[in-house]
Amino acid sequence: MPSYSLYMGCSVPANYPNYEASMLKVAKALGMELHYMEGVACCGSPNLRAIDYSGWLTVNARTLAIGEKNGNDIVTPCNGCFGSLKDVLHHLKHDSTDLGRVNEELKKEGLQLKCTVRVRHIVEAMYTDIGTDEIRKRVTKPLDGVGVAIHFGCHVLRPADVTGFRPEILRELVEVTGARVVEYPLWKQCCGATVLPVNESLAIRLARDKIKSMKESGAEFATVICPACGNQLDLQQLGLKQSYGETYDLPVLMYPQLLGLAMGIGEDELGLSMNRVPADGILAHLTG
Amino acid sequence: MAETDTKPRIPVTLIEPIDMSRLDPSFREEIRSMPDADELSACFACSTCTAACPIANQWLYKPHQLIRMILLGMREEVLNSKEIWECLTCFQCQERCPQKVRVTDILFDCKNLAAERGIVPEKIVALAKELVDKGQLYVVTADWEREDLGLEPSVPGLSTEAVKSILQGTRTGRLTKGGD
Repeated sequence: MPSYSLYMGCSVPANYPNYEASMLKVAKALGMELHYMEGVACCGSPNLRAIDYSGWLTVNARTLAIGEKNGNDIVTPCNGCFGSLKDVLHHLKHDSTDLGRVNEELKKEGLQLKCTVRVRHIVEAMYTDIGTDEIRKRVTKPLDGVGVAIHFGCHVLRPADVTGFRPEILRELVEVTGARVVEYPLWKQCCGATVLPVNESLAIRLARDKIKSMKESGAEFATVICPACGNQLDLQQLGLKQSYGETYDLPVLMYPQLLGLAMGIGEDELGLSMNRVPADGILAHLTG
Repeated sequence: MAETDTKPRIPVTLIEPIDMSRLDPSFREEIRSMPDADELSACFACSTCTAACPIANQWLYKPHQLIRMILLGMREEVLNSKEIWECLTCFQCQERCPQKVRVTDILFDCKNLAAERGIVPEKIVALAKELVDKGQLYVVTADWEREDLGLEPSVPGLSTEAVKSILQGTRTGRLTKGGD
């Protein structure tokens, strides 16, 4: 049974416990052992990188060093955490001066980073270590042909040389649920989450562009693998009524919620009632 | 997706001649010495980065112009621009650059230099303060939601002390005390 160090970050547990719960249930059913990392806190997000590269390096190197000590791969459900950890690891692997400086700081806590640890997004671990063939065996309520638009999130896809994440991973994981992946023109575009603290109206416009592009391409649902993207595409739909006078009613499910439904896990256990846009359509589809 | 509510403007860089005496050639060297900026001078201003940027249409300085401004030494204009803070960090510019210039990473470097001078949007300082005070950007407030889902009310394994202590000794600590 594969074992992992689970790095939650702060956004998922604080804002999306439904993502956390559905991930734990699905992982358990797939035979993945997730162990919450001890003694870790926030990655600082790209906001910390923007103002304090050195502090951002140390904070994330510390998390990496704890993971390295644990001996398992680090997995995370958040693109922001994933991007921060991957980027810092990539940088420190190639910059011995910064690695030395960071290790001086970590030594105070008896930690050391050798850059041997591996960091993966939770869906990447599902795909690589369990595989779609095994997952398919556990799908008992296939989402026959329901149209799902995937929003990957920038920091899982790019920079490609740092993240190493291929879009096919999530496409195949969605298809294994029996859903149909809906292609839409703005699939690569940002949800706008990062600009929210600096220019709110711009952030809302970006969320709207995305949702509109999905809806116009025939998506019945959207799926995301990041709490910040989830916030933009799900919660902001309420704001869009106000800002643009537009209603989209496009349910946005965290990927483990989508897979969980297909595996026959109950909607309560997956926390579907916490999603802002009701997922009634997909539930009707499953029971109908 | 183009914005139609503002009149098209001629970029200011075309109508206002650059004051050569104000250029600072050390700016490009400083940026080049920062993380992921080695390929800075490979930019030949093809503007592919600008074509890839989802929000360049509302910027006075487009991504390729910002890179050109760094190469020319327009330190003040770049570090005081709103554009560096509005960058989505979506890395699309960087992904498409035919010269492997890491445009997004370079804009992160610019933000760090601006932050060193205390030029940081108010709400970003507020987020930094959360990090220094609480060791996390978001704190669990609705523990009953977690319990309803069978999760522990507080996050297992979470410990914020070390992060708070690391950040207090860095630029983040200084910025949240009102700059220096």
